[in-house]
Amino acid sequence: MQLFLQNLVNGILSGGILALVALGFSLVYGIMNIINLAHGAYIMLGAYLAWQLFTSFHVDPMLSVPLAFVVLFAFGYVVQRTVINRVVRAPVLATFLLTFALSLVFVTIALFIWTGDTRGVQTSYAGANFTLAGVTVPWAKLLTLVVALVITGLLYLWLHRSKTGRAIRATSMDVGAAQMVGVRVAHVYGITYGLGAGLAGAAGALLTLSYPLTPTMGDPFLIKGFVVCVLGGLGSVEGALVGGLVYGIISSFATQFDVTILGQHLSGTGLQDVVALIVLLLVLIVRPRGLVGRATA
Amino acid sequence: MSFAVTNLSAGYGDTRILWDVSLEVGDGEIVALIGSNGAGKSTLLGAISGLVDLWSGSVRFGERELAGLPPDQIVSAGVVQVPQGRRLFGSLTVRENLLMGAYLRTDSEVEADLEHVLGLLPRLRERYGYLAGRLSGGEQQMVAIARGLMARPKILLIDEMSLGLAPLLVDQLLEIMQQIHATGVAICMVEQDVQTALEFAQRAYVLETGRITLSGPAHALLDDPSVKKAYLGV
Repeated sequence: MQLFLQNLVNGILSGGILALVALGFSLVYGIMNIINLAHGAYIMLGAYLAWQLFTSFHVDPMLSVPLAFVVLFAFGYVVQRTVINRVVRAPVLATFLLTFALSLVFVTIALFIWTGDTRGVQTSYAGANFTLAGVTVPWAKLLTLVVALVITGLLYLWLHRSKTGRAIRATSMDVGAAQMVGVRVAHVYGITYGLGAGLAGAAGALLTLSYPLTPTMGDPFLIKGFVVCVLGGLGSVEGALVGGLVYGIISSFATQFDVTILGQHLSGTGLQDVVALIVLLLVLIVRPRGLVGRATA
Repeated sequence: MSFAVTNLSAGYGDTRILWDVSLEVGDGEIVALIGSNGAGKSTLLGAISGLVDLWSGSVRFGERELAGLPPDQIVSAGVVQVPQGRRLFGSLTVRENLLMGAYLRTDSEVEADLEHVLGLLPRLRERYGYLAGRLSGGEQQMVAIARGLMARPKILLIDEMSLGLAPLLVDQLLEIMQQIHATGVAICMVEQDVQTALEFAQRAYVLETGRITLSGPAHALLDDPSVKKAYLGV
């Protein structure tokens, strides 16, 4: 029972950040039908921003989260308006290639600036944890979860209550009709992509609390974000949240497995993603729209 | 303010759809644009609204040249389209759809206009919180008209309002159009239902394969032998 609870808590703790990673990716896909392969690079840029501020000015990464959001939002907006909007109506392969190219450029630039050395942020509370009912909870991870949930909630409210949020949802349903009521689609797409990049940047800044930094650190998160989106249901805030938590919990319990396949011994962390991906396949077979996704009309 | 399209040509890719189309809608006038499927009616409305690129020609509203402006500036100028097939935002509520109609407005009278529109179309009050995609065809058309009104149009371009609706419902909607017209809004209605359009409008144009082939007072067109033969089946 103790082990079960500990695994559950670990899963939820790591699921929060996965949900945040998936959120921006899902938003960009859901609104513009762009599979944004540069998402991982924005996570990395947000992380290095937080690292740089921590190293140069001793700014706590938590304080860098809103800053990373704002900086990457602006950056993403400009990228969309100047580059991606040119091919946004093209077949999905065009944006696929373009965002992959952007990702390579950003990673290379990061290599020049910060080199390929592994970096880390050592906060005063890095190793601190507390124990509740026999379950150990690291403060940094709990803080990460709370911030991720708050950001997710704010985005949901903004999309559903604000005028611009409403315009974003309307544009995703019918671009032509949105233009007919006067929505400037290029601007709305810029905001959407900016939000995607900003959320990735915020996630990146949060990740510095518990993950090491390298210029390619975004890659595994890009893939996990993609999986989380599909698992929960592409294009919705709820889908990203549910998908993230489910993925986190599954991969946490997977660490308890211990198998030998074809003479290869696999255990613990090596199995996490394997089990999570198997679950994804099962979900796709049984419920292709995702756990909380809506069937497309 | 009078609205005038002059020698407008437009198309998609290399395919020319509209050939030197000219038409006018006077201040507070009701004009019908009739023609069969594929004549270019919706392309013309798209070109006027800035959604289809113009090849040549002008679109003037009062003193202002609208040709070449982006869609949002055309809406701001008061030229508003109610598109064919309703084109509602299906997963937004009726209220949200209406608010989208007022998207460009920054004045403080949006809520008052919502009340006005709901007074005009009381059925929408009952459906206010419903998702637009869940409504019946007639109700959806009401939302589309109401969404158009929320932009405070000076001229309303209505594309195939009657399409797929029961005759009784069409009559109701025409009555509502009459009330909208009475508030000083000019109306250009694009219709395949020629009889209905010509009985409702003051003047009309016939569009055939991208060209205006006939125009005049609506009642005169109703009696025109070629119109009777081609569109009314008599």
